[in-house]
Parts: sequence; structure tokens; C-alpha cells
Amino acid sequence: MHEQLLYLKAALDKHPELKFSIDQSSWQTDFLRFYHSQTNYNISKNNVNLSAGLYKDKKSFSFSIDDPTNEKIDAAMLNALSIIDSLPEDPDFVDVEDDLTLAESRPTTNNILAIPLQKKTDILASLAASAAKHDFELYGTFICNYSSGRMMNSNKLDKSSSGSPIYLEIKAVHNKSQLTVMETFGGDDFAYLDLEDFRSRLMKKIEFCTNEVTDVEAGTYDVVLAPRCVAEFVQYLGYGMSARALDQHSSYFEGKIDQQVFPEMINIVDDPGDPEMIRMDYGSGGHIYKPLELISKGYFRNFTCNQYYHHKTGLPKNGNTASCLKIAPGQNSVEELIGKVKKGLYISSLHYMNFINPKETSLTGLTRDGTFLIEDGKITKVVMNLRFTERIERILKNVVALENRAYTIPFSENYESFDIETVKAPHALVTGFNITSSTNTI
Amino acid sequence: MEQKIKKIISRLNTPDIQFADVRATITDSESIGFNNEHLRNYSSSNGSPALGVRVLINGCWGFAGSKDLSDASIDRMIKLAKSNAVQGSNFLKEKVAFPSLPATIAEYHHQPKINPFTMPREEKMDYLGKLATAIAPIGKIVHSYVAAEFVRQEKFYANSEGSYSHTSYYNTLPIMMVVAADSGQVQSRTWPGHMSAGRAGFELFYEQQFAENTDRIIKEAMDLLTAPTITEEKADIIIGNGHLALQLHESVGHATEADRIFGMEISYAGKTFVKPEMLGNYQYGSPIVNIYSDSTDPKGLGYHPMDDEGVPGRKMDIIRNGVLVDQQTSRHIAHMLGLQPSSNMKGSYADDFPLVRMTNLCIAPGKGSLEDLIKSTENGYYLDFTKTWSIDDNRNNFQFTTEIGYKIKDGSIVGIVKEPTYFGITKDFWNACDAICGEEEWGYYSTFHCGKGEPGQVMQLSHGVAPARFKNINVSVKM
Repeated sequence: MHEQLLYLKAALDKHPELKFSIDQSSWQTDFLRFYHSQTNYNISKNNVNLSAGLYKDKKSFSFSIDDPTNEKIDAAMLNALSIIDSLPEDPDFVDVEDDLTLAESRPTTNNILAIPLQKKTDILASLAASAAKHDFELYGTFICNYSSGRMMNSNKLDKSSSGSPIYLEIKAVHNKSQLTVMETFGGDDFAYLDLEDFRSRLMKKIEFCTNEVTDVEAGTYDVVLAPRCVAEFVQYLGYGMSARALDQHSSYFEGKIDQQVFPEMINIVDDPGDPEMIRMDYGSGGHIYKPLELISKGYFRNFTCNQYYHHKTGLPKNGNTASCLKIAPGQNSVEELIGKVKKGLYISSLHYMNFINPKETSLTGLTRDGTFLIEDGKITKVVMNLRFTERIERILKNVVALENRAYTIPFSENYESFDIETVKAPHALVTGFNITSSTNTI
Repeated sequence: MEQKIKKIISRLNTPDIQFADVRATITDSESIGFNNEHLRNYSSSNGSPALGVRVLINGCWGFAGSKDLSDASIDRMIKLAKSNAVQGSNFLKEKVAFPSLPATIAEYHHQPKINPFTMPREEKMDYLGKLATAIAPIGKIVHSYVAAEFVRQEKFYANSEGSYSHTSYYNTLPIMMVVAADSGQVQSRTWPGHMSAGRAGFELFYEQQFAENTDRIIKEAMDLLTAPTITEEKADIIIGNGHLALQLHESVGHATEADRIFGMEISYAGKTFVKPEMLGNYQYGSPIVNIYSDSTDPKGLGYHPMDDEGVPGRKMDIIRNGVLVDQQTSRHIAHMLGLQPSSNMKGSYADDFPLVRMTNLCIAPGKGSLEDLIKSTENGYYLDFTKTWSIDDNRNNFQFTTEIGYKIKDGSIVGIVKEPTYFGITKDFWNACDAICGEEEWGYYSTFHCGKGEPGQVMQLSHGVAPARFKNINVSVKM
């Protein structure tokens, strides 16, 4: 294992004028995609990658090698050494990571092996049979990844980690109306999947869909946001909690450390150790990943900050990347939250959000996978998907109650790379949520 | 490599396999980024290999991909692809099937005018460094960046019907941006917008006139800090190429990917409001709207002589005189819809499963220049350069904000507005199109970052567009 990493390290050790940060990672995925309650395709992929960042004083160059061999490493090193002297400097670079703290070791189950394809399709077939009773079929993905890696640097950092996240996303779609609802499971440990609880939650949403379909006018509504929505808004807010965003003058939290920004009930922590979530040992550059208070009793406490921005901004370094966000639960059951609403909406999931202005936290997006009308404290109708234009700042300021249970919500980071993250969040009752138009589609 | 993949195909020519294909890609990439006039990132990856084996067994797809091209890895991939198909077929009701195609052999190799990988490094860094210095923070400009991505990919494809292709190309993505801030306001301007990629090498920086536009984006970013917003409820809008490409991409391109009709993308990218019964009769846009998919034009990033399941490149109408007439399809989906496959199946790298993807999706030019179009607009706004975008999972309801809007009064530009935002329903919007500029304004606008599929893939593709006018569009978004 990691022979190429050690080969590269040996080559770099011959150049004491260089600082470096290198890592070798291997990654596998088994990926079942299904539609119409049947297989769409099964994918197995794997990769081994070696990456290196080289620094000579304030000049830097990095390279990445897929399927590394000693010959490829020699060529990449030769190229890097021929380039680095000719490059312009980055005056803000000072050093590579110097935090040598090791995480407590913990065993990693390879879930690709632990959850074979047959087991996946058995679970799906069982859930499909339940959904079929209401003429719904299942669409979605059932993914298991396994990755392991080791990173080293010129400050004698040498850290290894592994992980095997699971992501199960099931969308139940009505065969005629196309009404869609979703239920998910994510984490490192498949033992946390309570299949009957999962089925019960999915079926409850399916049963909501037996109600009449209606449309609502643009305007402001009291809304009960499902945990997935709360999680996603807070993920987006996390962007502004980074020292990088602060440095680029695009952070909502600029000048707000230790100021109250949200109601007292809002508590957000970046916690890599929750066993119900996907855990992380190390953050950016290899710094140990420890729990970090972000919002405490409504007060903004910390920016996430790596070595580079620590030197550049003077903020304390923590290595956190807001990848393990937890929003603390409140005092009410979800039924009580819905019961407080005279006329409003239950929003299950969000789609395609983008910032209009990140500093103001203004964004636009749509509802998805089950939007329901609440009348006199009860869910009464299905609502067409809706567009909203809002500020996350305002949404969190308008939270009046939180559910007394938090759920682990998985997100597949699926754009430039394929990663799975989890966020833990409760339902939230929010007043004055700004709906701007209806989609006329479900 | 040709021998390697043909050898793999020969091993897959067995009675239990209805169809098989094998792809290999070798990709070079280089990324350069200046932040605030300083080089922040210079990274490279040379000769990154990938190989993918796809088989259809018992009517079920199985796929395995890897960046390890050793014999042992290939043996493993073949075994995995087959077992994935066989085991997946146990959870299958309707088997995948499609007619065979005649064998095709294709070869294509693109050469840029200035090869970004072999040009003198000093020349490259000097040019980019000067751009970065020209837009460096000063006064109200608080942040800036200049970035370039260069990609060269060589691809080999073979399938069990005897088709084989060998292609290579160079793509470049250049961009620069400035951020201005004052009194709590933050505004940004890019050049030449987010659809700035091209089938080209370093010459793209010169063709897109980066050096000539540094002062413009600095001034406009600062002017936006004090600019008004749109106050009307509705307005006529002219959309420039830098943004129209994305409007086309989101509300026509993705909506007419037929895998969405069958729910194959529900779990991530979403569905579509388009239904099979709409073909031939759905008035998607006004009669002047003609939109086509053209993978036969080598000037766009979506060019290929053959897609990633052996279908020769095609130029085909999607919307003709405003009416929806065809879809972007795979062989399987085309068969289900009773259509000819459209040559739109592509994977980003060989270890990616091929998906229905846009290639070169274009709106046909109309007549006249942009200047003429502005002159013929009594009141309205000329919007360009995407700032943010959002569209529902049926591709029906969208909202876009551009970086800047130019106010038009009596046929002349009389000022600017900040964060111009418009929203609408896809059909209503395209039916409100009353003018499209002519060939002199038409060009390809391209991206490296079209995300789709799971595991996620980002596709490089193009849109041919000319500025177009849309009447009476909602431009008031209350916050």
C-alpha cells in the first residue's frame, strides 16, 4: 500500500529546498441506479490517485497522477522541477500544514463488500412492493463507496484515513400523476438503517399524495421545512462561514464574530464524530477535524479556516470544512409544528438553488419531491412545486420552533467529484417564507 | 490502445452478451489560476488513463470502469461488468433492447492554433500574469481572478457491432472576474461570461479579447455598486449570447433529454415536462424559434464522428418553427420512442457510464445585427453574462439573474441596472421570442461544467446562439 507515495516522498526528500504536501488515495464505488422499480444500471468504478503540491519559497506547482507508477512519478517530478523556478510568487503562502495531531483510530467496514448487490435489490424490492399498493414506483440510487488514503508533508505530517459511506435515495413516483416523494438514508454504518422506520416514513409521505392537488399564489407563507431543507439552507450558509469567503469579501459573517445573528434556538456545530453521520478524521491539508461551534445560541462564533487563510487573514486555524454540520433540535414534535400553522406549506425538499448575492445570502430555488398545503394545523392538499426567492439570513431569523428530533440527511456532492456528506437537522417552522411563483408541474 | 480495446471486445463477443462496448480515454489537463494578481494555482495531470466496459446481458446494463489499464484490472472489469448486469437483471421488469447498427469506422484529430501544452510557458504565464495585474484589486475592486483550464483528450471506442473510432481534441476554458465592494454592496463582472469555453487552444484568449476588456469589467463592476434595479413588473428583454446559451441549455437542452421522460434522472438531475405525445404538435416556442442538435460541426465542443454507443454524429431538428419535433436520445430510448437515435450518448471519461448528453445544441440564426435589434426596441433591457440561475426539476419554471442589464429607451442604451432578474415558464418564454439576430451575431458559447448522472459527470459541450428578444417578460422579483 502507498508504495508510490513513499517513492515520491523519497524523491522529494532529495530536495530540501522544497516544501511539499502529498497524498495517495484509492477509491471504489458500487452504484445501483434504479427506475420504475427496476434496475437502470449497475456501475463499479475504482481509481488510485497520487497528488502533490510542491512549494519553493513562495512559488508553487502541483500535479496529479491517476494510476501512478514510478515512471510517471519521475516524469512529473522532472516537469515540476523544471517549472517551479520560473513561476510568479504567491506572497500569501507561508507553509504547509503543521498540525501533526492524529485522530483516534477506528475500524472501517467496507460497505461495498458488506452490502452486496443482491442485498440492495432485496431491500428495494421490498420497498417497491409497499409503494406499489398506492400505484407508486421507486426511482433512485443505492451507493456504497470505499476509500482509503495517506497524506504526508514536509512538516513530517503522516496521516492515514479510510471511509465507506452509504447513500440510499428513494423517490416514490406516482405512475399517473408523477407526484414524487423522497426518503433517504446515509452514513457509515448500515446498522443505523431501520428499514421499517424508513418504510413507515416513505409510506406516510405517499399517503399524503392521495390528497387533492392544488396550486398556491405567490406571497409569504408560514412553512414547515423538512430536515433536508433546513440542512441544505445551512450548507449554503456554510459557504459564508469560511475564511476564504471572508477574504474574498463575500461572507455574510464579515464583522459578525460573537454577534447575535439568529434567534437563541439556532445552534450549529461542525461535528465530524457523530456515529450516525459520515465521519471525518482530517480536514483541509490534513489538519485534525474536531467539533467546531459555528452558531451558538444564535451567536456567530467561528470561521472555518485552513493553514493558508490562517496566515492570510489572521483567523484561528481549525481545518474544518463545514462538511459535518449539525443543527441542534428544539422542543416540539413535527405534528406540533404543523399544528401551529393556520394556513401554510410543508416543504420536503429543495432544488437547484443558487446565490443571487452570497454576501446577502440571497438566493433562488424551487421546491421538489412533495410540497403540501397545511390548513388548520393539518396537511390537506398536494401543492405544485414552487419557486422561492429568499435570504437564508431571513429564513433563520424567522425560525419560531424546531422539532425535537434531528435526522441524518445525506447529500451526494456530484458535480466536479463524487463525494457523500451528511448533515443532521430537525424540522423547522419558519414564518414569512417568500414564494415567488408556481411551476404548474409536480 | 486500439489493439487493447479490440481485444477486450473480442472477449465480449459471446452469446450471453447482447451488446458490448469498450472505451478508453487518455486525458491531459492543466489548470492555472491567479487570485488578486498572484499565481494561486498551477496544476497539471498528464496522460490520465481511463477505461470502461459496458455490457448488456439479460436486457440489463452492467458497467465497470477504472483508471488502471493493466491486464489484471481489465480482467476484473470484464468480470464486474458482467456480474453487475446479471445480478441487476434479477430486479428487472422490462428488458433493454434496440436494433443493431451497421459498423462504422471513424478517425478525427483536432489541432489548435496555439497548443496550450507545448507553447512556451513564459509566454503563457506572462500573458495571464499581465491580465491578472490589469484587474488587480485597487480602490473599490476588492477581489479578482484570472483562470484557464486546458484539456486534451484522446478517445478510443469499439463495440460488438464492429464500430470503431479514434478521436482527439483540445478544449480551453478561459475566464476572468472582478469583484467590487462599497458600503455593504458587492457586485461582480466576468469576461466573457460563464459559457467561455471553446474547441481551441490558447488562441481563445486572443479571440475573446481578454486584454481589450479588462477596463470594461472594472468600470462596470464599480458602476453596478450604485446602479438601480429594474422597477417594472414586466419588460421586453434582449438576451446576449453570454447568457442566452445558458437559457437554451437549461430550458430546452435538459428538457429534451429523453432519459428524463422515463425517469432515469429523477434521483439527481430531475424529470422533464416534455412527454412523448408532444412530439410533432407541441408549440414549444414562437414560429421563428428553430433549435437543433448538431454533433457534426467540428467547431463546437460537442462534435464527434460517433457517440459513445456507436451512433454516427447527426444534425437534427429538436424544435422546428417553434414545434417540438424530436428528442435527444440513446439507442434504447430512441427505440422506446420510435425515433432514430440522435447520437447524444456520451461519457465524460471512459470510466464513466454514457448518458444522454447535449452535444452542440443550437438556436438557428434569424436576421439582423444586435445593434439593429436594440434600435428596434422601444423600451426594455439588454441582459448579458450569467450571474445566477435556477430551474425546477421538470425544466419548466426558471429564474435567471445576469451580472448586468443595459436599459434601452427609444432604441438606445441609456444606463445600466444591477442584478437584473427575470423568471418564467419555459413554453411561455420561448413563445415570447419575437426576434433572433442573424448569422453575423451567431457563435458557439461553451461550458466545461454541465453536471448530470450518478456518479456525477461534468460534460464539455457547446451552444450556438445569437442574441434574441423576448416580449413582456416578468422582471419583478420581490424580496
